[in-house]
Amino acid sequence: MPVTPSATPGRKSAPGVRIGGLTVVYRTPAGELPAVSGVDLELPPGTITGVVGESGSGKSTLALSLLNAVQPPGRISAGSVEIDGLGDVVALRGEELRRARGRHVGYVFQAAQNSLNPLKTVGKQLLDLGRSHGVEDLRALVREARDLLGRMGLDGARVLDSYQHELSGGMRQRAGIMFALVLNAHLVVLDEPTTALDMITQATILRIIREVHEERGLTTLVITHDLGVVAEVADRLAVMYGGRLVEQGPTRQVLSDPRHPYTRGLIQAIPRLVGDIGEARALPGRPPTLATVPARGCVFRERCPLRMDVCESEHPPAVAHGTRLVSCHAVEAGAQEHGGEAVAAGAREEQA
Amino acid sequence: MITGQGITKTFRQRGGVLGGRDVRALRGVDFSIARGGAVSFIGESGCGKTTLGRILAGLESHDSGEITIDGVSMTSLRPRARRPYFRRIQLIHQDPYSALNPTRTVHQTLAAPLALRARQTGRAKGWIDERAEELLGLVGLDPGHVLPRYPHQLSGGMRQRVVIARALTVDPEALVADEAVSMIDVSLRLGILGLLRDLRERLGVSVLFITHDVATARYIGDDGELYVIYRGQVVERGPVETIISAPVHPYTQALLSAIPVLHGLEVPGGQPVTPAGALEEDEHDAGCLFARRCPFATGRCSAEVPVLGRTGDIPQEHACFHPERRSVVAMPAGRA
Ligand SMILES: Nc1ncnc2c1ncn2[C@@H]1O[C@H](COP(=O)(O)OP(=O)(O)OP(=O)(O)O)[C@@H](O)[C@H]1O
Ligand SMILES: Nc1ncnc2c1ncn2[C@@H]1O[C@H](COP(=O)(O)OP(=O)(O)OP(=O)(O)O)[C@@H](O)[C@H]1O
Ligand code: SF4
Ligand code: SF4
Ligand SMILES: [Mg+2]
Ligand SMILES: [Mg+2]
Repeated sequence: MPVTPSATPGRKSAPGVRIGGLTVVYRTPAGELPAVSGVDLELPPGTITGVVGESGSGKSTLALSLLNAVQPPGRISAGSVEIDGLGDVVALRGEELRRARGRHVGYVFQAAQNSLNPLKTVGKQLLDLGRSHGVEDLRALVREARDLLGRMGLDGARVLDSYQHELSGGMRQRAGIMFALVLNAHLVVLDEPTTALDMITQATILRIIREVHEERGLTTLVITHDLGVVAEVADRLAVMYGGRLVEQGPTRQVLSDPRHPYTRGLIQAIPRLVGDIGEARALPGRPPTLATVPARGCVFRERCPLRMDVCESEHPPAVAHGTRLVSCHAVEAGAQEHGGEAVAAGAREEQA
Repeated sequence: MITGQGITKTFRQRGGVLGGRDVRALRGVDFSIARGGAVSFIGESGCGKTTLGRILAGLESHDSGEITIDGVSMTSLRPRARRPYFRRIQLIHQDPYSALNPTRTVHQTLAAPLALRARQTGRAKGWIDERAEELLGLVGLDPGHVLPRYPHQLSGGMRQRVVIARALTVDPEALVADEAVSMIDVSLRLGILGLLRDLRERLGVSVLFITHDVATARYIGDDGELYVIYRGQVVERGPVETIISAPVHPYTQALLSAIPVLHGLEVPGGQPVTPAGALEEDEHDAGCLFARRCPFATGRCSAEVPVLGRTGDIPQEHACFHPERRSVVAMPAGRA
């Protein structure tokens, strides 16, 4: 893939990100309740990390924390987000924070398809963005935007001349990605970048995300409820449930040999395209809400087939298993882990 | 039995700076679904799936073509006379959040159409609550728990079941499920699919299933048919399993190639097909509508129009001059 000339000048290097003990709470009639609890996650420089989880598991809240952009009634109540070259963004305020957004951290919001200003053309919004960040060469900015749109398979000039309602969902999504990249940010956060797009458009967008990530030397975080999306783009995968990260590791390893009972259940529940449809099995119960997430013990225990007494009272700490981090009392016990592997291998043989 | 023949629909769009234009949403679609049958529509965004579903549910008019319900031609009837027929075809919206009135409890949501039903069929008032409970049981919900609640007190999966229960209040012959499971969390999705399958098997309800996720089409029951739609035209049609495992139309192949591969669990299909460029509905084409994007197009393709039908020993219908089986979908890693 040829490197676009615009990507080389002023090339910053991909930053690493270290999230530590991050807790985000929302104020509700029932008091402040955590949507994200004690999350530890590292984004190694130059990697694509995928965060997957069901609706309400706290993915968007986690993503917003990377910009210290959680809005009231929410607030970051504990923890840090260290970004190379920026420091701890949880401590940033006002003007510093505003500059960091866009310049250092590019963000494509969930439902980016509806987040463009309906009253201004895309081009006008681009100029506004450039001015607000003190960009001197606005022509170069427009050229850069056109190039980016062009390499995403769009007619850049036409898109810049269009209003939101004149663009399809896939076109708007690509315009959102352009906005996240056009100020040359090297940490990019994409929240549900392909939700509501059809398969062909989704495949195109995922290919673009991968290519741009490599060409520009980015550190990328992709948030999604769709395991297929992370499987396509992410080097590393983190699984979220009830505001907690329950398992993380290299994507292929997690998918081929999931350790946490929730990860296993989630993978098992995916409708299968080939083979016996009975291989897919529903996960009993339903995901917790802010109000029903248990305050003590394991967040998954209501639905867990391996639940033990200790799961009621003790939160399972994240324990390293090779390149994997898993938070589960049952996996922690070495014998169980072995048993788990045997089960997984057995399941694979059955499929074969 | 519901059939459609040569259904066309053109929308006149009033664009902003681009001026008005005609969008040919459906270009002559033939269609048939037996009692208790299952038909799934797949295709890119904007290919006309929802339009077709809405026409079949009587919510949208069509320009030409014929729809029959149990042998009665709808075109021959006055709009008033059509209504009872179309009421038997219920549309389930893709979004269970907006489909329910947030100020009504589940009980109120179900009681209103049931009261109408009771009046029509001369049943006593007591029947209404009885039937509401029965329907909730049918969709796998606990009536005691759900009836007094408002939509926001229910999970997405529960809401979608309530929407389905409401559709069942009129004893429909067919359900049009437009992306009815895509908004539902993975861990709840199989439950809704199983429910649709159950309604077919136990009540003989026909299911018209509109989806982006081809895999889910397999879950509404064996013997289902798949229609692949491109720019308002059916380009391939046949048993779900046949089309997934041995598609012959290059567009179907492109669509199936685009499904994300679960690397680690699956290995990609051997012959992926990538279409050139993007869908442009207003492009005027002679010949095959897919020719501009098709990697296998020949001179004939841009000169002649391929018609849906069977050729050679290919079991499914297709509209392509150069049909060829290609293995495009991912396989479980163990089996490779
Ligand atoms: N402004 C808010 N006020 C109160 N609660 C909130 C607010 N925003 C989010 N929450 C709650 O916090 C939890 C996490 O929400 P979040 O949007 O981060 O989830 P998500 O994983 O991104 O879900 P989705 O897949 O639906 O986008 C949910 O239970 C949600 O209801
Ligand atoms: N009321 C309308 N007025 C004008 N154009 C319309 C209208 N409804 C649909 N269209 C156009 O008709 C075409 C088919 O739309 P339709 O909604 O049926 O597609 P779809 O296959 O359901 O797409 P999606 O997968 O995005 O839901 C599109 O080009 C759409 O823009
Ligand atoms: S900690 Fe206990 S309840 Fe939680 S996933 Fe592990 S075994 Fe299940
Ligand atoms: S008829 Fe020609 S252009 Fe159309 S799908 Fe077949 S090979 Fe491609
Ligand atoms: Mg979200
Ligand atoms: Mg639609």
